[in-house]
Amino acid sequence: MARGYKYFEAIEKNAALLGVLTLVMVSLGGLSEITPIFVEAHSVAAPQGVKPYDALRLAGRDIYVRDGCYLCHSQMIRSLRAETQRYGAYSVASESVYDRPFQWGSKRTGPDLARVGGKYSDEWQRQHLIDPRRFVPESNMPPYPWLVDAKIDGATITERMRALRALGDPYTDADIAGAAKAVEGKTEMDAIVAYLQGLGVLNVAKAAEAPATSGAPASDNQSGAGGKR
Amino acid sequence: MTTFWSAWVIALIVINLGITFFLFLWGPRVEIPTQPDGTTGHVWAHGVLREGLHRLPTWWIVISALMFASGFAYLALYPGFGASKGILGWTSAGEHAADTAANAALEAPIRARVASQPIETLATDAEVRRIGERMFVDNCASCHGRQGHGIAALGAPNLTDGDWLYGGDGKAILTSILDGRQGGMPAFAGVLPDESIADVIQYVRSLSGRPHDGLRAQVGKPIFKANCAVCHGADGKGSTAVGAPNLTDATWLYGGEQAQLLHTVRGGRTGVMPAWRGRLSDDDARMIAAYVYSLSHPDATRR
Repeated sequence: MARGYKYFEAIEKNAALLGVLTLVMVSLGGLSEITPIFVEAHSVAAPQGVKPYDALRLAGRDIYVRDGCYLCHSQMIRSLRAETQRYGAYSVASESVYDRPFQWGSKRTGPDLARVGGKYSDEWQRQHLIDPRRFVPESNMPPYPWLVDAKIDGATITERMRALRALGDPYTDADIAGAAKAVEGKTEMDAIVAYLQGLGVLNVAKAAEAPATSGAPASDNQSGAGGKR
Repeated sequence: MTTFWSAWVIALIVINLGITFFLFLWGPRVEIPTQPDGTTGHVWAHGVLREGLHRLPTWWIVISALMFASGFAYLALYPGFGASKGILGWTSAGEHAADTAANAALEAPIRARVASQPIETLATDAEVRRIGERMFVDNCASCHGRQGHGIAALGAPNLTDGDWLYGGDGKAILTSILDGRQGGMPAFAGVLPDESIADVIQYVRSLSGRPHDGLRAQVGKPIFKANCAVCHGADGKGSTAVGAPNLTDATWLYGGEQAQLLHTVRGGRTGVMPAWRGRLSDDDARMIAAYVYSLSHPDATRR
């Protein structure tokens, strides 16, 4: 028997051993790239002064997820000049610390929404969701007119906030007790508009300066008039 | 990255590259026993297929060696080997900053003009207009339209007609962009009886020569003076100081039909121009203002 051949022979003639060794080798990449980030992600802290979603915005976030907005809209401004020039400072992990799951998205059919808060008026957002082509004739976004009629259910919002608190979001008893009242009489349209107007505004630390063109990872998005409800 | 995770990553890289590199060096040297006919003796399909033996092609060995070399070089130059920052000290933030600085250097001559010249002069500068237009399309067109013609459903004004709510000189346009505008037509339902509102509407229509009921317009005139003139002026010509539209011309922000006017007077209107300060730099806003100014002054600016 020639030098070293027996090892190759053992692997070649034993499918189970070949399978196990293959599994070991292909796992190495994932173990080194995914595991550390997966574990360390839990140590990302919320930016200064950023609170978890209030009741109405939480309802809006869930509508965003339910209607699959993330399939066409990313919330992830990459650190590329063309993106920071168009959308503002690039996104950082701490900005989505209260998103479960995060809404970074993986594809853009529509524009990135990470810093859309305050860019348009509430009325624009409302009418645009009812009929996107009213404002952007070449848009291929589907209309969402039913949002105007659908009411938010305060009871489930309370439960959702309890569940999020169990996962570690720092809701106070007062937040949860007031949730049902905060969404009383509100429609899904009110909720999603509130959610959109907070993106890039309420989830970033309030920084004093940072001009828009610098692309620094700070809050360079002051709420426009439309951001105030 | 903590020391533990750094060590974890380093260990996995060493195991992975170690095993594969060892196999790369050792594998080709292993002697495989052969039969007298030169094959390995491995057979398939009842002996029809017999496994032969060839040396690894040189091109395969060279390419593999290059891949190992580039892998080692990558780990040495760039971040990847645990917490190592790499010899080049590359970061995505650093690359973004360098890219932004390079672009700023390209733009510097234009931005020097933009910062020092009045908007009206900038509007004659084709280069500034082109950049301004690009940013207009990106930021403003979704309310004011690609051509700047405005959208009545939103009360977003036409920017091409020379008719201005808050003034149309360069400075006023720049202020509108940077600080935004908040339209505030109050609701008169409950303040004025429906009858009086109907009278005022007839009077308002008479101001611009629209078909109207002359008698009711006569009744509406003093009501207008008492309630509307404070913003729209005694003559109904409006005021750019408060953004009250001129009611004597043919421009209607929310429509001049009876039903639309009724809606406006009864329910009020709250048009919102968002403030762009913070989102746009002053220079960017000035370039957009120059483009917007040129829209209503095509002859003076686009020679």
